[in-house]
Amino acid sequence: MIDLDLIQGLLLIAGGIATTLEISIFSLILGLAIGLPLSFVRIYGGSLRFLVDGFEKIFRGIPELVLMLFFYLGVGAAFPFPFKNAFFTAVFVLGLRSGANQSQIFRGAIRGIGEEQMVASRSLGLSRLRSIAYVMIPQVFIFSTPGLGSEYALLVKDSAYAFVIGVPEIMKNADLVRAQTYDYLVPYFAAAIFYILLTFPIATWLDVWGGRRKKKLGL
Amino acid sequence: MADRVMECTHLWKTYKPNLIAVKDVYFKIDEGDIKLVFGPSGSGKSTFLRCMAMLTLPDKGDVFLRDECLTKPGVDLNKARARIGFVFQHIYLFRHLSTVGNVELALRRVLKMSKSEARQRAMQALSDVKMEQWANNYPAQLSGGQQQRVGIARAIVRNPDIILLDEPTSALDPELTGEVIDTLRDLAAKGTTMLIVSHEMPFAREVADEMIFYDEGTIVETGTPEQFFTNPQSDRAKKFMTRLILKTKRE
Repeated sequence: MIDLDLIQGLLLIAGGIATTLEISIFSLILGLAIGLPLSFVRIYGGSLRFLVDGFEKIFRGIPELVLMLFFYLGVGAAFPFPFKNAFFTAVFVLGLRSGANQSQIFRGAIRGIGEEQMVASRSLGLSRLRSIAYVMIPQVFIFSTPGLGSEYALLVKDSAYAFVIGVPEIMKNADLVRAQTYDYLVPYFAAAIFYILLTFPIATWLDVWGGRRKKKLGL
Repeated sequence: MADRVMECTHLWKTYKPNLIAVKDVYFKIDEGDIKLVFGPSGSGKSTFLRCMAMLTLPDKGDVFLRDECLTKPGVDLNKARARIGFVFQHIYLFRHLSTVGNVELALRRVLKMSKSEARQRAMQALSDVKMEQWANNYPAQLSGGQQQRVGIARAIVRNPDIILLDEPTSALDPELTGEVIDTLRDLAAKGTTMLIVSHEMPFAREVADEMIFYDEGTIVETGTPEQFFTNPQSDRAKKFMTRLILKTKRE
């Protein structure tokens, strides 16, 4: 057993910040890649919307902890590559769940922007796909910034679930320090502070930036 | 004989439940014509206009743009719409784009012009509607009248075969209406083919070649502005004109 003093313990916990951020950002990007197309399929996709609805219900309805263990231990037994890679599985699971969330965030934004923006774009001769790319998506992002800020904060917090499959992020390292020092207070308190520092400033900045942009553009 | 720009035959559009917005309408507009459609609210004028632009797909009937039948299966409607300018009652500028960005979007993404050529054309169109000095402003920074002039620039910049205008002034106050009417007057002077839904009677009298009274999903009466102002034939048109002229006088 290694005897760690307080400073060493805090440094070890802080050493998980990069991994926590990597999990959060990669899963946010994966969620974006899933959620943005799904939101448009949900609105313009005709009968395909039921598939999107099913996807959202499944991944919003199952706890992340269950999904993480299911993919890492269950699916990972059948497909060691890539699911036995704990970091990959953490990003994959959180990305899927975030995709379901982001689909709903973007759908709200599309409805807020209004169908007439699409009609105006089609009246110029733009195809539906080009209208989505050049008219809808730029506005969707501006509309969605507060929601995306909250989603980012949620992912930073949910990245702590990766602890159960052994990813060395903040929570895992805090627990390691707890196990080595028998101190049940300081390691978790330090982890809590790190999570707040990672979520609050960026989520607030996105909220303020989005609000200003929306005001400027009259959205 | 002037060339046909647009025509529709036996056009139908029904909304559920049993709300007929366009009922077996025949309409034709030739090169350089300015035709003005007017009639009570909810009579289906906007739906008729949107069907002509194929923004709302008709249930039955045919729409022709020049010699091309737009209602035939397999027609590239995006290409067809690029040849029709449409101006909306509530304008619908793209709020994330600057004024010039709104005008050049179709030039870049539909007509595939280079950035510099599109910018030059867009600035010319903005100059035509006297909006070039607001080129870099966003729509939210413009008045309603200025926004509608940008909407008109967005419609004319592609040199479309025809411009369809759906009540372009009805969402504006009288002062701002004047700005837009002046712009339309300029377009009329240039010989632009226009189909306008409007209740601006002095403007109609001044520029329209033909007025069309539209009610309950159908064309009730057509005639010159003089005919409508002095001797409308149908009772419905007579009553509507009387009310409209009184309203115009009050304003």
